[in-house]
Amino acid sequence: MTFNVTKVLGWFAALTLAAGMVMGFGVAPRETTQGNVQRIMYLHVPTAWVAYLAFGVVLAASIAYLARRRAGADRLAHASAEVGVMFTGVTIAAGSIWGKPTWGTWWTWDARLTSVAILFVMYLGYLLLRGMIDDQERAARYCAVLGIEAALDVPLVHFSVYWWRTLHQPPSVLKPGAATMPPAILAALLVNVVAFTLLYVYFVAKRVRLLRAESEALA
Amino acid sequence: MADHWNFVAAAYGLAVVVLGGYWRRLARKERELAALGRRA
Repeated sequence: MTFNVTKVLGWFAALTLAAGMVMGFGVAPRETTQGNVQRIMYLHVPTAWVAYLAFGVVLAASIAYLARRRAGADRLAHASAEVGVMFTGVTIAAGSIWGKPTWGTWWTWDARLTSVAILFVMYLGYLLLRGMIDDQERAARYCAVLGIEAALDVPLVHFSVYWWRTLHQPPSVLKPGAATMPPAILAALLVNVVAFTLLYVYFVAKRVRLLRAESEALA
Repeated sequence: MADHWNFVAAAYGLAVVVLGGYWRRLARKERELAALGRRA
């Protein structure tokens, strides 16, 4: 019997996600100002963190590909971009659903929301570009350049709340100094961050394996 | 402030659909590649 690391990772991610739901809905108290709609943050914040992580991995893998021309680096960038786009989509949708009862609008063109929408569209373009070029080597090279350029938007997304006057609040955790929230809410948030990070690693590992199998089948 | 549980359910429901859908897509691709490998 072979030991399937990806499968174990998948089960571990599923269990941590279940723990995250227990923390978010069972342990964390009802937020006084926003009410229970604040529980959307246990989804919105971790998926936003995973999107940052995913595009950071695209950046590193793209640089590695341009430096060494290893197919493995390109497959990692491809997988991470695909999973990152999905998590960014979930972040935007969850934020929008939270925004309607809290801000009174589904969407507003403030700096944070606009920069994250640009990030989403740039990586959608990255995936489209891959699909449009038949030559694997050329697709990998063009996408590595685009992957690096698009990742430059991540700091803009994160710091936009400091650089411009926005409706979106500044970060509560990813900031200098201590987190400004009750310990139970912070704990629920951190468990969910770990859970969604594990889910990201699981998806990327599975996707990289499939991309390798696809290229072997085509060869 | 009202709790808006319907909004909470919509956000988590959407995430389950998207993430579950992606997982199913990967699993289907895996099965297709395995079948291709068996035929070859």
